[in-house]
Amino acid sequence: MKRRKFLQTTGLSLPFMLNGFRIGAMPMSSLFSSLNVDNDRVLVLINLIGGNDGLNTIIPLDQYDKLANARGNILLPESQLLGVGFDNALHPSMTDLKGLFDNGKMTVVQSVGYPNQNRSHFRSSDIWSTGSPANEVWTSGWLGRYLDQEAPGYPTGYPNSEYPDPFAITIGSLVSETCQGTVTNFSLAINDPFNLNPLADPVNEPVPDTPYGDELSFLRTSIAQTNLYSESIEDAANAGANVVSYPEDFALGRALKNVALMISGGLQTKVYVVSIGGFDTHANQVDQDDPTVGNHANLLSQLSQAVAAFQLDLQAQGLDERVLTMTFSEFGRRIRSNESFGTDHGDAAPMMLFGSCVAPGFIGNNPEIPDEPEVQEALPMQYDFRNVYGSLLQDWFQIAEEDVRQILYAGYQHIPIIQGCETINSTSETAVPIEITAAPNPFVNQLRVSFACGNERVRLSVYNSIGHEMAVAFDKNLPAGEHQATIEAHGWPAGHYYLHLQLEKGRQKTQLLVKSR
Amino acid sequence: MDRRTTLATLLGQKTETAAPPVVTSGLTPYTGSFEFQQASHLLRRTTFGPNYEMIKKAVNAGLDATLAELLADNPLPEPPLNYDFEEDPLVPVGETWVNATYPTGSLKSMVRNYRSRSLRAWTFKQMIEEGTSIRETMTLFWHNHYVTGDINDPNFEYRYITLLRENALGNFRELTKKVTIDPAMLRYLNGNQNIAAAPNENYARELLELFTIGKGPLVGPGDYTNYTEQDVIQMARVLTGWRDRGYNSSNPDQPVDVEFRYNQHDQLPKLLSPRFDNAIINDMADQEYAYLVDLIFTKNECARFISRKLYRWFVYYVIDDNVEQNVIEPLAQIIVDNDYEIKPALDALLRSEHFFDMLSMGPMIKHPIDFMISALRNTNFSLSQFNLDQEYTILWNIFRLNSEGMQMVYFTPPSVAGWKAWYQEPSFYRTWINSATLNVRQNYTARIANSGYTGAGGVAKLDVLTFVASLDDPFDPNNLISEIASILFPQPISQAQKDALKGVLIPGLPDFEWTVEYSDYVNNPGDPNLEAAVEDKLRNLLTAMLSMPEFYLS
Repeated sequence: MKRRKFLQTTGLSLPFMLNGFRIGAMPMSSLFSSLNVDNDRVLVLINLIGGNDGLNTIIPLDQYDKLANARGNILLPESQLLGVGFDNALHPSMTDLKGLFDNGKMTVVQSVGYPNQNRSHFRSSDIWSTGSPANEVWTSGWLGRYLDQEAPGYPTGYPNSEYPDPFAITIGSLVSETCQGTVTNFSLAINDPFNLNPLADPVNEPVPDTPYGDELSFLRTSIAQTNLYSESIEDAANAGANVVSYPEDFALGRALKNVALMISGGLQTKVYVVSIGGFDTHANQVDQDDPTVGNHANLLSQLSQAVAAFQLDLQAQGLDERVLTMTFSEFGRRIRSNESFGTDHGDAAPMMLFGSCVAPGFIGNNPEIPDEPEVQEALPMQYDFRNVYGSLLQDWFQIAEEDVRQILYAGYQHIPIIQGCETINSTSETAVPIEITAAPNPFVNQLRVSFACGNERVRLSVYNSIGHEMAVAFDKNLPAGEHQATIEAHGWPAGHYYLHLQLEKGRQKTQLLVKSR
Repeated sequence: MDRRTTLATLLGQKTETAAPPVVTSGLTPYTGSFEFQQASHLLRRTTFGPNYEMIKKAVNAGLDATLAELLADNPLPEPPLNYDFEEDPLVPVGETWVNATYPTGSLKSMVRNYRSRSLRAWTFKQMIEEGTSIRETMTLFWHNHYVTGDINDPNFEYRYITLLRENALGNFRELTKKVTIDPAMLRYLNGNQNIAAAPNENYARELLELFTIGKGPLVGPGDYTNYTEQDVIQMARVLTGWRDRGYNSSNPDQPVDVEFRYNQHDQLPKLLSPRFDNAIINDMADQEYAYLVDLIFTKNECARFISRKLYRWFVYYVIDDNVEQNVIEPLAQIIVDNDYEIKPALDALLRSEHFFDMLSMGPMIKHPIDFMISALRNTNFSLSQFNLDQEYTILWNIFRLNSEGMQMVYFTPPSVAGWKAWYQEPSFYRTWINSATLNVRQNYTARIANSGYTGAGGVAKLDVLTFVASLDDPFDPNNLISEIASILFPQPISQAQKDALKGVLIPGLPDFEWTVEYSDYVNNPGDPNLEAAVEDKLRNLLTAMLSMPEFYLS
């Protein structure tokens, strides 16, 4: 259905795409065989800008003596460390994250990097954003390529009734390179979801086929999309809620508060990117008098407080099984500290993932610190970052393994980061679509639903925008064939709801709008 | 299409999406007509926006004379002043603070804050008031090239930006030497912590990667084609021993300065990689850094590197094979032939066929500072009506309320690579535009066109009546709109757009009604009702025109 529609659109109005992979040599079936576009899962990325010192974040206790030798002037006292797992500890400023870890809501993937690490901020940021090999320059982001599959031809024809919301949102004034698609960036930059003023709509005249026309139509599209998406974001912000208090005296706390609000308000955005800068700690990473305080401690404290509040908010609202949060940074830092109480650009570092669907604990072995590391020496890579990305695409967004290889690299290897939460191994999924119709939509009192199933157990229910189940039409075994049901919306407040049809082969979700009487 | 090509496309390694006509012109001097569109194109790209008079003057003078004026060496501007802080014991209001140290105690941070505001307001004043000169544009170019930021001492910032302004049209290699031991740079890239016992390679790395030769592809372990990790380490040793002095100083005997401490300088030989011909640099004390810069500049790649940056600053971000071959390569050769003098290269680029190619006109999305300042300059905005306090306060408010939101804060680039618009593939200039920044841009133009920015009792908004009076035919609404469009926009707009704008100026009325109203106003000077009626209509028109995406382009 979607595929056919896209073919028509592409054929008619986007002839340039004919040279691209979509219609060219790539067989459709292989590319889209198991794409689950109705997956309602959300990925939140936290970019630790500047290169986070992993060894001062997650401290391998079995290496403590060697760290004392290599970075004595910045090393945290062992007595103050927050022990987690068997032989690791968190920085003492991350008390809230220790709480998450102890409750099984946090995973650490050890020593993530890539071969031939590049120590330039810009180049390495590009590599982490695009998912390219170190020696190739790619121009699209890893999530942009995923979203290219979800929304072929974007931005032409978007938003539309099927996809009314932005695919990705960056909190701040810059869009994220991770969401750069083949044609344009999928992310919308917003600062305050309650304050999105409409822009003057341009007169839509044809543009010349020149660089000038190209940039002009980019500007016009940006203006038009901003206006269209602003409405759905403001609706979500107004409908959403935060039920815990956030640390609001720093930007990351405010940013994650707004992300939770938009998720709670029913926004169908799949990716949120937030960032926190200041990790380029060449000098004064720690206070000279007390290594437990200083610039890095402050940053980690902010991260810890903000992420913990976010997770608790999602849990309290029953949204936690839909959201996965992950940190990333362009590189780790050197093993040896420098004389300026700081550390210089290095290689691999741990990645942290948070949520109710992570396989909790540590993945990978502790880094091994040499007895006498060279000045230039940093941690070697244990996991390729593209395997972390790919595992999320496969297990979280349920992209088939072969497509993950296309999006990232042929050598992709799965890492079991996701656990529970109805995680379906994408490769075992069948390609049979789940057919469901619901009418009228929008509706006031009654909704008629028809669907088909095999001889199987069926659960048909409606959730409100904050994840509360409002009604269950079926939860029983049904014979194979067509079935109908009627949903009564008496007493439901006007707004967005979601119809869920759970079959053995998967789940289909449809957005509903209840109008006021 | 084979699988490899397919995969490459999927991965976005090729940008074969939009394929507008290719510009094939090169650096050959342009000999076509130099009319309003060419002249305004040249001035739009080299200054922060021309007004009508400047464009007409350029047309009359011709390309040679206009370029000569743009590239002329001018005396430095008068320094920034204390405009409102009466408690500064060292600098009375109305005097400059740039040679003064700081008072002690609690006053210090207040003094630093007003000087910081003063410097930023003054910087905007320079860009607003500069005539037909490329210097302010080139000063910002170098600021984006040799980035410093977060310095938090306006005396350091002033010294740094003055160095760039003084050498804006000078010699690339010599400026690199001066920047290398500039106090602000020594702080920003930790050169002041770079000592023999503990080398800090931050500056050495950026010197190569961002300031001089650029980074090539990674072709071997630590080998970036143009230099290697070994060179970074060795060059960091070359640069040991330099320190800034007088940071936030309250000691009148210790103004902003640099010093070289030989005992903290690494005096052993430094061995460079084969990329620098295995050169050995022996101890040359405080001359060693200059020797190093000379050595880096023996590589012509430095000329190519700066040529590409100039191209992306003045022309467009797409550097394809044609541009590389027909523009970058000959431009780099000019730079090499002229011993790294920048002026001959600017002259060649700005008089080239390529620069005046129709396909080069208009595709540059204005950076926020250009956007802000050009809205003022295009429409004859003048600061002369304000007293010192009003002038600085208003400019500070414009700076303070818009820079961050539009994502371009003078003196605070986001990183050592400068603003993303000039390096981030594939978006480049498009990184300026998103839902958040669009809002700030539209709020800004609506505000200067209507209520204005206030400060110390003054109100700064566009003087629409004076602006329109400077046009050739403000009486005819069609000519009025066409003339304003020719100043604000890089390419003509369509008749439908002009009609829509006329609907803003005189909604639902025939053309002659404007002529009648405007003539009444002109013939009855001092009649406040007639003036207000015309002024309101013109404010609506300017608001609409400045919000058009065409105004975002240069």
